[in-house]
Order: sequence, then structure tokens, then C-alpha cells
Amino acid sequence: MRRIDRRSTWVFHLNSGSCNGCDIEVLNMFAPRQDAERLGVKLVGSPLHADVIVFTGPVTLQALPYVIRALEASAGAVAVLACGSCACGGGIWHDTYNVVGGIDKLYEILKERGIPRPPTVYVPGCPPKPEAMLYGLMLARGLARQKQRKQVYVEEAREK
Amino acid sequence: MRCDEFIAKTGLVDAECVDDSTVLVRAKNVLETAEKLAEYGPRYSTGVGIDYRPINRSYLMHHVLALDKDGLFIVLEASTGDPEPSIKSITPVYPAANWHEREAMDMLGIRFENHPEPYRLILPDDWPEGVYPLRKDYPYDEKPYDPRSIADRAAPRYFSAKTGVGEKRVAAEIPLGPYHPALHEPEYYELIVEGERIVEARYRGFYVHRGMEKLAESRLTYNQIPFLAERICGICGYTHATAYCQAVEKAADIRVPVRAEYIRSILLEIERLHSHLLWFGVAFHLLGFDTGFMITWRLREKIMDLAELLTGNRKTYGLNLVGGVRRDIDEAKARAVLEALDYIEGKFKALIKQVKDMGEIIARTKNIGILTRDEARKLGAVGPHARASGVDIDVRRDYPYAAYKYVDVNVPVMDGCDVLSRILVRYEETLESIRLLRVFIREIPAGGLMAEYGDIPELRIGIGVTEAPRGEDIHYVVTGRENKIYRWRPRAPSYMNLATVPYMLVGEKLANAPIIIASIDPCFSCTDHVIVIDVGSGRKMSLMKALRMI
Amino acid sequence: MVASRIAFISEIKKKPVTEQYPYKPISVPEGFRGKPVIDPEKCIGCGACVNACPPGALSIYDEGNYRVVKLFLGRCIFCGRCQDVCPMGAVRLTDMFELASLSRDDLVQEVRLLLEKCSLCGKAFATRREVRHVEEKLDPEQRWLAHLCPRCRALVSAKMIGYARGCNR
Repeated sequence: MRRIDRRSTWVFHLNSGSCNGCDIEVLNMFAPRQDAERLGVKLVGSPLHADVIVFTGPVTLQALPYVIRALEASAGAVAVLACGSCACGGGIWHDTYNVVGGIDKLYEILKERGIPRPPTVYVPGCPPKPEAMLYGLMLARGLARQKQRKQVYVEEAREK
Repeated sequence: MRCDEFIAKTGLVDAECVDDSTVLVRAKNVLETAEKLAEYGPRYSTGVGIDYRPINRSYLMHHVLALDKDGLFIVLEASTGDPEPSIKSITPVYPAANWHEREAMDMLGIRFENHPEPYRLILPDDWPEGVYPLRKDYPYDEKPYDPRSIADRAAPRYFSAKTGVGEKRVAAEIPLGPYHPALHEPEYYELIVEGERIVEARYRGFYVHRGMEKLAESRLTYNQIPFLAERICGICGYTHATAYCQAVEKAADIRVPVRAEYIRSILLEIERLHSHLLWFGVAFHLLGFDTGFMITWRLREKIMDLAELLTGNRKTYGLNLVGGVRRDIDEAKARAVLEALDYIEGKFKALIKQVKDMGEIIARTKNIGILTRDEARKLGAVGPHARASGVDIDVRRDYPYAAYKYVDVNVPVMDGCDVLSRILVRYEETLESIRLLRVFIREIPAGGLMAEYGDIPELRIGIGVTEAPRGEDIHYVVTGRENKIYRWRPRAPSYMNLATVPYMLVGEKLANAPIIIASIDPCFSCTDHVIVIDVGSGRKMSLMKALRMI
Repeated sequence: MVASRIAFISEIKKKPVTEQYPYKPISVPEGFRGKPVIDPEKCIGCGACVNACPPGALSIYDEGNYRVVKLFLGRCIFCGRCQDVCPMGAVRLTDMFELASLSRDDLVQEVRLLLEKCSLCGKAFATRREVRHVEEKLDPEQRWLAHLCPRCRALVSAKMIGYARGCNR
């Protein structure tokens, strides 16, 4: 993944139909207690200006075209931060008739339109703590090490 | 008044008592009965369309009317056969029924005769005709088209440039959304302005429709739905979970232990505090007072810490199951609550005292965004929004639930009808929340946390109401079989309050639009829980008609 | 006006509330609902958690000789119902919240348990651990029943009841 320069990280918040829990926690990152701005993180008003796109929501059919347009416009962004259960895996309604189902299904649609899959950081949680999102941002900037790894346990056959 | 007294007093035929406070009226002629009931001055609360074909081959439309002074709900039932279901619209009598009937049209295909605006409300623009998701024969996980095919849908354009009658006017369209720095959620407003003045306003929302009602009927069981309900909205999720549990508990006659009721009320007030402090922050931000935003959100962190301590998560509490709660509040936690309240109360009072002295804020909120009391009543506005326009309603006092049955609630009502009144009403409510929390913590009795109950009987109606931070939140439930629900309709308060936005916007300066919209404390996710709504497509409207168009 | 200015200045002079995360760790309260972890030694593969999970983050399927219990953290809503219903206390919600990951695959925990084959028809029907768990609750003479798949068990039991009642079919 391309390393971002150790300068500020400008963030664009994209809500594709989420319940707002994650969005409020994104906003909370800029409140005095977590204060993301001391780390150089700033919210901007356009995807063209953004280094990292903070993505929430399970991608509803209604929001789909606008989300695609916003992501197409932000092809210069370095990473997408998929925040929350809805963005990472589609959430509790991942299979209903009006939901595309999270960011991976969105990437399949983008691929067919010729947009390469941007580097993505998945931040699970419902909603994830603002600190968890800051950790995800640090991961995206290459300043933190990933703690979560896949774990597989295989039971060994023993003598009966 | 009890249900049987009401039936005796009004002499209604075909009326029966669902329970103590709910009357079911099976109307042969729904318009006539609606007019008859209008004499008692009820408030239109919600409308639920139900596909009852598996039971008796009919479609039902349940209009829920609320008699706040008497603490009674009237369920007005209209039924129609299959195919070509058609019911008379009661929008002429109750204007607030407008959206609810349109929703039933969209989701179930019931035609409402004489409906003034029979357009799509919830489903996306490109949803095919004749496909009705809430019908029992439509699977919850089937999309009628491949999402890829709509990826190039153009941005909505619902205005024609014409306004007014005949004269040549210089007007400009200002689209606001779906993604805009001032908005936290995707929604789309179109404002037609002349110079600075807003002449027409249209809203096209329901970008957040996720198909929840259908999901609850299909894949989920009774005890999984509270977790679904909690994610209707990330700000007032717990009231939704509580209202749902109350509806099922009412339908199945489950008595929740008193201690569990107190715990629910404690968390409900904590949620109200966090929601109001959040709103103050956002309102200050939109007024240009960012210091206020930072201070209120810093105070709010104490509440979030409390929530995390009591429930395990800052926002989604996950505390409710049908019949009670999952966690207890011990001495240490109770003390933590009281300490946090002591910290917040003084500082918040000091902040608002200074704000009241700030001429800039008063100038931008006094006499801005007027909603008269008549308009508020007619459109069925609820919550602090209605109370700031002189409508004296509050579910905690009118239909007492949980631990509010055991305490007195002071309800602040003001007559200013403007944005400043809404700020002051929410301020009073915050102080009242702090007082109530202290009372609950002091008086919580010992006891169990979860009721014991057997199978939940099927096809019973249950209504659960709570006072969310934004107003009356009503969940309508029809129980089903095999541990599943038959129909669930959550109606969030913003659904009713959004109807008032055009009334408040027209005639105001464009620069005031964000604070006026924010003053109803809109929660678009609460409103969009069912399906995406589709405002009519580019129809030309006269100004008067456009005022009623939401 | 002067009073408000004094008040604001006194606010600024106070100790900063900003926590120093991520340079310093933060603590979460007891009972925090963080990442669920399946203890592989305790899990018997019964699937109660899969039934209870509202978003379907937990899933169970058979692959080869194994029954796989899969937890996909991306879809988890951290409600804790799995912890509530697990009969063995194998699923626990920990206090971990730093779960960000660069790949979707890293958000998965899998527990693969050996399947037991029915001693009559040979079909794999439950995990060995499940069978052992049930066996221990039965009287020694009945333990052989636990090694039959549900269909064979029903047939055999019906036959036994039939013989006991004197039917000779």
C-alpha cells in the first residue's frame, strides 16, 4: 500500500445510508477529547480534496449512483476507511432488497466500471469507538502496526 | 379514560378493546368513521398497511389515532380484498395521513382513492411498477434489478423553474445534497430562491431505506429484533428498542419486572441527554458558534462514558430483550451516574446562561422558522418541535410507560414557535432529564431483570410508544407464529416533523435554511427505516400545492 | 459581555481534556463489549451462537471431515448474544477494540472440529465433541444412542418401542 507522506491527512466523510452511529463517532473524532486535528486529520467538503475517504453505511440502492460518483471523483485518494459493521460486511441487513451490501460489493461494481480497488482499511465495530477509527487512520498512514490477524484452529484427531 | 368507557361514551359499533388503552374500530366506511372520530380531536399518529392475505385474503390499513388528553389509542381498521386492493383515503380529514398512505401504496400496492398526491414515497426512482416488497409473497432478499444497471442514475431534479402564477420571476434553484458538508446524512433538498428569499422547498429523502420491516418478518426472531431496532438510528436507537419491546410485551401480556423498568428509564434518559447535547453542538456549529460545539461535545463525553460503563458500548446499548433487560446497575455504577450529572449540570447551565446573552445567537434564532400552533397540530408534529409551538404533548406524561408510571414529569411548553423556542425547550428538557435521572437512581427498587413467559400468542396487536429525544416514537406490532413477528412498523418522530420543514422554510432567507432544518432535530435514518421515498417526478406545481409537498 | 469573556478565558485555562491516544493507551470499563473470541478448546460446534447472531456474522458449515465455525468480525455488531447462549461458555466478548485491518480475510476466526460419523449409516452428523458432550449426560447403557444420526436414532428407537409393545414388524 502506498505510504502516505507524514503530513496531514484530509478526510472526506461519505455516508451511503448508515444509521448515523458511525457518522456521529466520526464527528466525535474532532471533538476535544479525541481531537484528531492534533494528528493532522481534517474534514473536508469534497472528495477531490481528500486523502482518505471515511466510508459508512451498507450502500442502499438509492445512494448507489452518488456513492459511485463520489468514489470516481476521488481516484486520487490514498485509502478508504470502511467504518463499522455496515461498511465492512453489509451489517445486520446485508441481504435485504434495498441494500447492495457493504464496501466489497461496491468494489465489484466499481471494477466493472474500470475503477481499480482502492487500498482499504476495515474498522469493525457497531459503532467503532473514535479511538478505533483513529487507530485505523494511523494504520492507513503506516504509523501503526496491525494487531488483528486471522486465526484458524484445527482439531487434531486423537486415538479413540 | 379506559377503552370500555370510551366505547360506551361514543357509542361506536364494531369497536372492541385490544387492551386497556387501545380501541380497535373495524370501519365499514373508513372516511365516514374518520370524520366521526375527528369530533374528539385526535392526533394522527401512524398508519400501517398489512398484507393479511394468508389469514383472511384481505389487505388491512390500520390508522392509529392518539387521544393525548385521555391516554388512548384508536386503531381505525379499513380492509379491502385482493386483487386490486383499494381503500378510501382519509388524508382530506387528517392531513398527517398523507405520507403513511403513500407508504402503504408504495410497499403494498394498496390504492388510496382521492389521495391528493399518490406518488412514490419510499422506493428508489427506478423501482419497477407492480413490485411490492412488503407483500408476503415477495422474498426479503430479492432485488428486482441488478444494482449495476442503476449506477448511472442522474441526480434528482424535481423542480420546474416555474413558481407562482404567470408573472415573470427571477428564480434560481439551489440543490442541497445528497452529499454536502452541512449535512451529515444523505438527503436532498431543492430550494427555489428569489435572491435570498426561499420561495419553494422540496425534500427527497429515504436514502437510508434498508428494508428493515421486511427483514424483521423474514429472517429474525422476537429477541433479535431489538438489536435491529436499535440500529434504526445511531442517536436514538435505544428508544426504538424499548418501544418495540413494549409493543410485544403489551401484545403478549408480559409484565416486565419493576427494576428492569427503572433500568430502561435510566438508559432512556441518558440517551436523551446525549442526544440533546449532540443537538446543541450541531446547532451551535450551524450558527457559527464553534466554541459552543466543542464545549457541549466535551460535556457529552461524560455521558458516553456512562453509557459505556452501564452497557458496554458508547452508543448501541443492546440492553433490551423482550421481557426485561440484560444487565444490572450496581452501587458503583449508580454513583458514577450521579457524579457525571453533577459535573455536567453546572457547566451546561453556565454555558446556556452565556448563550442567552449573546446577541448574535438571539438575532439568528428569534422569529426565524415560524411554525404556528395550528400548523403543528394539523401536520401531527411531535416532541420538542411541537412543544415549542405551544402543543402540550409528551408521551411520558400522556401514555406513561416503564418507570415514568411512578414519577411526575414536568413538560416544558413555549409559545414562541421559532428556533429560539426550540433551543429553550430542549434546554429545559435537558435539566428535567438530569432531575429525573437523580430520582430514578434514588428510587430504583430491588428485583429481577427479566420476566418469565411462555409462547407469544399469534396475531395480537401491540402498540409501544416512547418519548424519543425527538418526540413520539410509536412501534406497531402484530405478533406472528414460530417465534417470528407478523408485521412491525416503527414510526420515528422525524417522520412527522419533516412534514413541517417546507412550512418553516418558505419566506425565510437562504442562509437560515440549515439552522431551520436542524431545529427540528432531524434524524433521517429514523425516518428512512422502511424504504426509500420517491418524490414525484418533475410535476409542475402551483406554490400553494408545493407547500404541502414534502 | 465581560462576564462571558471571563468565563471563556477560564475555560481555556483549564487542564486539557484531550486524551493522548494513540501515543498513550486508553482503558475501557469492565463489561465493555469488544471483540468476540471463540475459545477453541471449549467450543463443541453446536451452532447455538449461529442461531442467535442477528447479522449472521457467525456461520457454520461442513467441509471435508470438519465442521467449521466461522466468525466474521466485519459483520459483527458486538451485541453479545453469542456469549449469552453458548452452552459451553466458549464465546466471550473481550475488551479489544483496535480491530482495524488491511485485509478482509484477517477479520476471520475459524474453528475446525472433527465430525463424527453415524455408526449405522456412516453419514457425518455432528462433531465428536458434541457427541462426547451428550454422551456424558446419558446412562452408560444408552451411550451408544449418541453415536447415531438423528434419522437412524429415530428409526432404531421406533423399532425398540415396537418390540417392547409386541409388534413384530
